Amino acid sequence: MSVEQFIQGIIGGLAIGCIYSLIALGITMIIRATDILHFAQGEILMIGAMTGLSAVWMVGLPFVVVLMIGMIGGGVAAMVIELSVYRTLRSLRVPLINVVVSTLGVSIVLQNVARLVWGSEPLRYPILFSKRGIEIGGFAISPQLIWIVVLGFAMMALLQLFFRYTRLGIAMQAAAQDPEAAQLMGVNVKRITTYTFLVSGIMAGAAGVLLGSLFFASFNMGFLVGIKAFVAATIGGLGSLTGAMLGGMIFGLIETFSGVLISTAYKDAVGMVLLIVILLLAPSGIFIRAGRRI
Amino acid sequence: MKSTAIRVLILSAFVAAPFAQTNSYWLHVFCVALIGAILALGLQLLVGMAGLLSLGQAAFYGIGAYVSASLTMHFNVPFLLAFVLAGVAAALSSLLLAPIVRLQGSSLAVATLGFNIIIYLFLLNEEWATGGSFGMMNVPAPNLFGYTLAGERGMYFFCLLVGVIVYLSMDRLVRSRFGRALKAIAQDEDAARACGISINLYKSKCFLVAAFTAGIAGSLYAHQAHYLNPNDFTFNKSIEILIMVVVGGIGSMPGAVIGALIVVLMPEYLRSSGELRLILFGALVVVLMGSSRGGIAGLASMLGDLFARWHTPRKSAPEDAMP
Repeated sequence: MSVEQFIQGIIGGLAIGCIYSLIALGITMIIRATDILHFAQGEILMIGAMTGLSAVWMVGLPFVVVLMIGMIGGGVAAMVIELSVYRTLRSLRVPLINVVVSTLGVSIVLQNVARLVWGSEPLRYPILFSKRGIEIGGFAISPQLIWIVVLGFAMMALLQLFFRYTRLGIAMQAAAQDPEAAQLMGVNVKRITTYTFLVSGIMAGAAGVLLGSLFFASFNMGFLVGIKAFVAATIGGLGSLTGAMLGGMIFGLIETFSGVLISTAYKDAVGMVLLIVILLLAPSGIFIRAGRRI
Repeated sequence: MKSTAIRVLILSAFVAAPFAQTNSYWLHVFCVALIGAILALGLQLLVGMAGLLSLGQAAFYGIGAYVSASLTMHFNVPFLLAFVLAGVAAALSSLLLAPIVRLQGSSLAVATLGFNIIIYLFLLNEEWATGGSFGMMNVPAPNLFGYTLAGERGMYFFCLLVGVIVYLSMDRLVRSRFGRALKAIAQDEDAARACGISINLYKSKCFLVAAFTAGIAGSLYAHQAHYLNPNDFTFNKSIEILIMVVVGGIGSMPGAVIGALIVVLMPEYLRSSGELRLILFGALVVVLMGSSRGGIAGLASMLGDLFARWHTPRKSAPEDAMP
């Protein structure tokens, strides 16, 4: 493997890793707040990609605005689903596994609604960045990948700041760590849970626009990515935000490099083997979450 | 006595089904539903009895299907032997999972899902053994003691026979020491361990039995569909089996069968609604999840209770409340 291939692998791996991280973060936030394994997170990503794409068709906006619209689309979709489905199920006090299976039902519904609205053909995103490679230290790198890495990292940094410095972010952390205590401290846990879905949907919507701009957008683009993000979150330790971020990066890098070094056919398998090995060595993932067990 | 009567009634409904509906397409769908029921029964043991959330049943289903097809096609093994060996191969491969059964809840679900993806990629890429993405064509119809089950109806009855055997074995298994140990593990692992139950051994055994069941279901599928494709054994299939179990009612063996019938037959009945059919199906899954604690089985027993209360005089009501 040449140095150029290596550097391209790093950038490409980080770019796809950022996308996994953004979804894994949402999945982790939801697990922390509600214990739900949210299998529809990939579909939220798809909704984000599709709304972003529709915005491009309608008015042809600059990339940042498209990204914003995708984020809003994902966030609103997640919040609507939480309010209409998961909150209702929780108030009926059904067992957790029922809620988990209902997320699979939601995922089926979202995919097929999207198929009705946007058709079943994969839709090509317009070129949002110049195609010409940027020269860095003598190597040509696609500017698209660099943008994805920069935006992905920026978004994760913003999320960290949000959790650390805003009232809402701190309330979310508190509600996730100990719902009863947070309620006693005057946090409206029910409302905070809805906001958690909103923020996780925003993350997934952003990931959707980034992923769509890299490949294409289609009604079934989300499910596999969502599953992989689950694996990434588990590698990081289900429930740890830092773990989800690093898990996504690690998973993206491993996928890219095993595609180059081992075989493209088995690149997904390498990640899965790694998952099983990591779970065997450290059953709670790389980053063990303090507090409540899932 | 009453439950025996109900069982006989339900069984005769299953026996009568292929005579009431002779269309070969529908017979094919009924076969698929029966195979789904066998798969759901296996997963019910894991999820409903032992509380182990597995998302990898389709891997064992696929292993069973491909082993059975290759044995009969390439090695001229008689069908019944291949059928049993398919189950054995799936069970043996579940031993690969033995180290990960000690994982808890969500981690176990994601790990079994990873296992499913690995097996799928193997089926897709190892063309020398599985035919790759072209799959395996012309898998022969089952041959039982020189008699070939060529028609859909013959196949249906064979699936029904296997289904009944699997159901009765699961029913016995649940009531045995093994089943009670699994229930104890599901309720409280530490307490079960304190009672002298070897947790990991029982969990592995449970995976073994569920994998064997999925393996023979795979064999049935291979010889019923006559064509195998790796795409039939993705984690989507695993998820479908989980939906069957949860829709039918966790912990209930009849529920697993009902859930399988719903998940297979409902999209067929909704076919007339065209593009809306999967949306309706997904919405139905969501609604069923909220409608009662125990899926269809829970709903049925709830209705049964209501009916009984309505029928019995009020005076006897306090007696029912006594433990």
